[in-house]
Amino acid sequence: MSVAAAAMGLAMAVAAVAAVAAVITPASRRQPVVGVATAVAGAAGLVSGVAAMAGSGYSVALPWLLPLSGLAFAIDPLGGLFVAVVGGVAVVTAVYGIGYRGHGLGSRAVQASFPLFIGAMLLVPAAASAGTFLVCWELMSLASLVLVVTEHRHQPRVAQAGLWYAVMSQLGLVAILIGLLVFAAHAPDDGFGSLRAAAEQLPPAARGVVFGATLAGFAAKAGIVPLHAWLPRAHPEAPSHVSALMSAAMVSLGGYGIVRVGFDLLGDPGRWWWLLVLALGAGSAVYGILQAAVHTDLKRLLAYSTTENMGLVLVGIGAAGMFASAGARVLAGLALAAALLHVINHAAFKALLFLAAGSVLRATGTRDLDALGGLRSGMPVTTALFGIGALAASALPPGTAFVSEWLLLQSLVHGLPAAGTATAVTMPVAVAAVALTAGLAVATFVKAFGVGFLAKARSPAAAAATESPPTMLAGMAAAAAACAGLALLPALLLPAVGHAVAAADAGAADPAVRSAVSLRLVGVAGSLSPLLLATALLAAAAAVLITVRLVARRAGRVAPLWDCGGGPLTARMEYTATSFAEPLQRVFDDVLRPELDVDVSHHAESRYLVAAVEYRRRVPDPIEQRLYRPVLAAVAWWGSAGRRLAPGSVHRYLGYGFYGVTALLVVLAVTR
Amino acid sequence: MSDTAYVQLLDLACGAFLLAAVLVLWRRELAVIVRVFALQGLALAAIVAVIAGHDRSAELGALACGILALRAGLLPWLLRRALAGAGPAKETRPLVNVAASLLGAAVLTMIAYAVSGPLVTLAPSPATHAVPVGLTVVLIGFFVLVTRRRALSQVVGFLLVDNGITATAFLTTAGVPLLVELGVSLDVLFAVLVLQLLATRIRDTFGDTDLDELQELHD
Amino acid sequence: MSGWTPAGVLGAGLQVAMVVAGAPLLLGAMRQVRARLEGRAGAGIGQPWRDLRKLTRKEPIRPRGTTEVFRAAPVLLVATTLVVAAVGPFLTTSSPLDRVADLFAVVALLTLGTVALALAGLDTGTAFGGMGASREMTIAALVEPTLLVAIFALSVRVGSTNLGAIVTSTLHDPGRVISPVSLLAAVALLVAITAETGRLPVDNPATHLELTMVHEAMVLEYAGPDLALVELASAMRLAVFLGLLANLFVPWGIATGAGVAALLPAMVAFAGKVTLLGVALAAGEVFLAKLRLFRVPELLAGSFVLALLAVAASFFLA
Repeated sequence: MSVAAAAMGLAMAVAAVAAVAAVITPASRRQPVVGVATAVAGAAGLVSGVAAMAGSGYSVALPWLLPLSGLAFAIDPLGGLFVAVVGGVAVVTAVYGIGYRGHGLGSRAVQASFPLFIGAMLLVPAAASAGTFLVCWELMSLASLVLVVTEHRHQPRVAQAGLWYAVMSQLGLVAILIGLLVFAAHAPDDGFGSLRAAAEQLPPAARGVVFGATLAGFAAKAGIVPLHAWLPRAHPEAPSHVSALMSAAMVSLGGYGIVRVGFDLLGDPGRWWWLLVLALGAGSAVYGILQAAVHTDLKRLLAYSTTENMGLVLVGIGAAGMFASAGARVLAGLALAAALLHVINHAAFKALLFLAAGSVLRATGTRDLDALGGLRSGMPVTTALFGIGALAASALPPGTAFVSEWLLLQSLVHGLPAAGTATAVTMPVAVAAVALTAGLAVATFVKAFGVGFLAKARSPAAAAATESPPTMLAGMAAAAAACAGLALLPALLLPAVGHAVAAADAGAADPAVRSAVSLRLVGVAGSLSPLLLATALLAAAAAVLITVRLVARRAGRVAPLWDCGGGPLTARMEYTATSFAEPLQRVFDDVLRPELDVDVSHHAESRYLVAAVEYRRRVPDPIEQRLYRPVLAAVAWWGSAGRRLAPGSVHRYLGYGFYGVTALLVVLAVTR
Repeated sequence: MSDTAYVQLLDLACGAFLLAAVLVLWRRELAVIVRVFALQGLALAAIVAVIAGHDRSAELGALACGILALRAGLLPWLLRRALAGAGPAKETRPLVNVAASLLGAAVLTMIAYAVSGPLVTLAPSPATHAVPVGLTVVLIGFFVLVTRRRALSQVVGFLLVDNGITATAFLTTAGVPLLVELGVSLDVLFAVLVLQLLATRIRDTFGDTDLDELQELHD
Repeated sequence: MSGWTPAGVLGAGLQVAMVVAGAPLLLGAMRQVRARLEGRAGAGIGQPWRDLRKLTRKEPIRPRGTTEVFRAAPVLLVATTLVVAAVGPFLTTSSPLDRVADLFAVVALLTLGTVALALAGLDTGTAFGGMGASREMTIAALVEPTLLVAIFALSVRVGSTNLGAIVTSTLHDPGRVISPVSLLAAVALLVAITAETGRLPVDNPATHLELTMVHEAMVLEYAGPDLALVELASAMRLAVFLGLLANLFVPWGIATGAGVAALLPAMVAFAGKVTLLGVALAAGEVFLAKLRLFRVPELLAGSFVLALLAVAASFFLA
């Protein structure tokens, strides 16, 4: 048995043991036991994924496990990449979860769902038939739903968030089901091998339906606009390590689905579909980061940032598809490699950011950036780790996202001569969209880090913050180490990513890499060495420090801040996150349509003297206002119209059945 | 049993079966309806017994006894007990008046014959020739369910449906496996118990089991 | 192309030295030109160096309540600018740090410096610091699309975003300089550079009114050697940006081979081009007033459209 198979089997076994242990262990030891076991399962999954990416694949069919179709698993380098991502995030969050106490977190149901969730997520990329895929997908959705509503007894908003999440994930499942069923109807059975073989004979209409339906379902899971509404609701209300798991691992499985169906199973759905994918990705990226830039709830900000990053992944996938359709295999491989590398990078830094946000929430009790600040003194380690995560997320060197965005930009920039006016128009727009998201991402994370962690505390809760327990710090540190490794030595990972690209049959394998230190692109001209850049930066900084030490000899002293002579500065005078984002919000207010409320109260003696001014700003999600509300209103109208069918008379209800049956029988008799 | 005797006995039993169903539709007094239902149970048991005698199957004979006990004995007894606790024993005016109901029954019979034509031609035999009767009783039972106001009459309609299904099963395949029959009978028993409980509750709350009164609950 | 030749290493070192030493002189020249055009006598070209010397002799002051971010920001700012000065195609096209000489990487490094300063502004916890950081990040976010699309336009003909490759290819094909692509990209980049370096009409480097400060507001709390580093860094950034603008579009004079002898004329050419550009910029500033912050996005949108047109032109006129 190959390494990948053995490791995956071990992961499943340990996950099952963890789930059982969650039910039978007493409450005092439940979280550590489940945490350790889940971490082991995650590590085994990580090993399995890495082994699969290196080439040791396997496949196993279990026809007896389920009626009608049985289960079939096979893992190839593409699936292995996602298994590795899930495994890695699982390890980090499980270690974090050992020490993360909270309302409802210790209950049996929640602790048992955690390993089940991770187990299902590990199996989804390993599924080798449509039935298996759907079963694992649904198991993943259900387990995550239980985890999302952990705190519903404590907070009423959680139940509402859970409802949104449940409805949208089920609708997504229905869409994927329709797509895969239409596909499987044209094939002898529902295994991925038969689907691949049947793809050539698929009529164009069926091809369109399959790709459209599966794209809708997977895009909903990935949080792509306009199907993103559950992301910013569910993530803030879920416990932080669950949010990390969902944001870093689960949403990337949406990307996996699109790559698997679009590139591997269907072959090529057509250039216009890939253009749609790219457009959706670019739109989500810009919209997501714009919303993140103006929101002050820390976890909501991170959730919108997930939409942005998934949008970038979809831009890469769409560009790869367009290049592959046009025959430019080298560029297609490069674009897809950029997208897959971004999935890995995003998993690393998003996990870190959410875990740090959870640490802050636990210490201060609030997620509102306008009430945080000054956490550096009480929580130095968390501050440093969040700083690393923010640098990684903001696409600046030497951060993690910089490498994958650089690769993406290289593929887009070299794609111009590829083919057709369509690419000539889309590539510059795509580059512009990626650039705008990069700029806004920098602004967003400066806001999140600067307002949330630096300067003075804006509320007593933030002033009283203390550092998190060591297990939580260990989980965060592991994620930070992963971010640093991915940032400095991405070239080590690229051969494996190249195998995944080849497995998806999307383009030429091995898009880059000659030496371990730098990336040199194959086929197009471009090279980058993140390690060299970081080293140069460090050397320059050292040189500056030494020069300053030599030249400026006087001893320093501490002095108060300049207060214009008006007395000591208070925390009320600091810039808040709302005020920081206000210029951006004003620039984009046609898109954002914020609701402003300014309340001026005057002194009793004179109308010209202002006693207090209250400024309230709400930025509702415009897509929710303009798309979801009308749809929900239409559904409600249908429902109330349908109520006329139910006047309360039992006879009427029975009559519906009777008349229906009789009519059917008459029709049967007549049409024989 | 000789063939002609078999055919005649079978037809007699089926005829009684169908007549009982029509009588349920015709009569309005609840006590009479329950008695007619018991007669139908007897007719059903007779059908099964005749088939058992023709096929010389002990299992079918046992089944016939079971059906007799359940549908001619236990169920009517339960219904009578429910009836005893009820107030006025007469059925209020049904939704469709008696004449129209009987015409409707005739239409349903024709539909049943039209639909079950292919079934009969598939495997012609004296038993399968009587399949339309079973189907008719199903449709009549459904009709009773839809057009009666009192909860008890609706229970009787439901039981007619079940009787018809059982008859169809025995006439087409000479029986269903014992396990299935046991399961179905258990289901029916539970259904009646639950419906009786509900009818009692409705009566206690509203003073009457006229289901049209329940329409007031609709907002 | 490996730059670890004597010419390459010497060139990189000389570049850094020139930028560090010459940037305050450039700033002084620009201020002197402005002063003369405005009818004043001016402080002399060496005044920025005199200011730096004065600042380094002062007592370092650390405001109470700030964190390491405040202390590290000036160092990081200067470090990023030093790296860009070392890799940019100023004196030679074959830099030893060629793997870092990617245009996207260079732009991102300069943004890193801006971010460091913005974080320091937020770290002070004063309203000025927050305001400066907020405005600076808004402008930086809106300048990114212009910069990257302009780089895209430049790289299409060359087939690479490597700085050395772009400069070398322009040297081999002089006619490209006056093509519509280059002109549009140059104008777009000029506007972007004005925004990034905080010159008029986006930001007035000489103001201290809170309504008009962007860059100055962030560095209000710095004093002594820290302020010297910040001032030096902003002068270096200006020099680096002008150097990039000059050598990407008018690269003649740059040393391309492995010969050390070509470095001397390269130094003269570089100094000349950058001074010329700086003087022209300063002269232009005399006639401009600062834009309201909320008019700046319109300006940047205009430059973005120019860059987009440059890309379209490079495709359709290919």
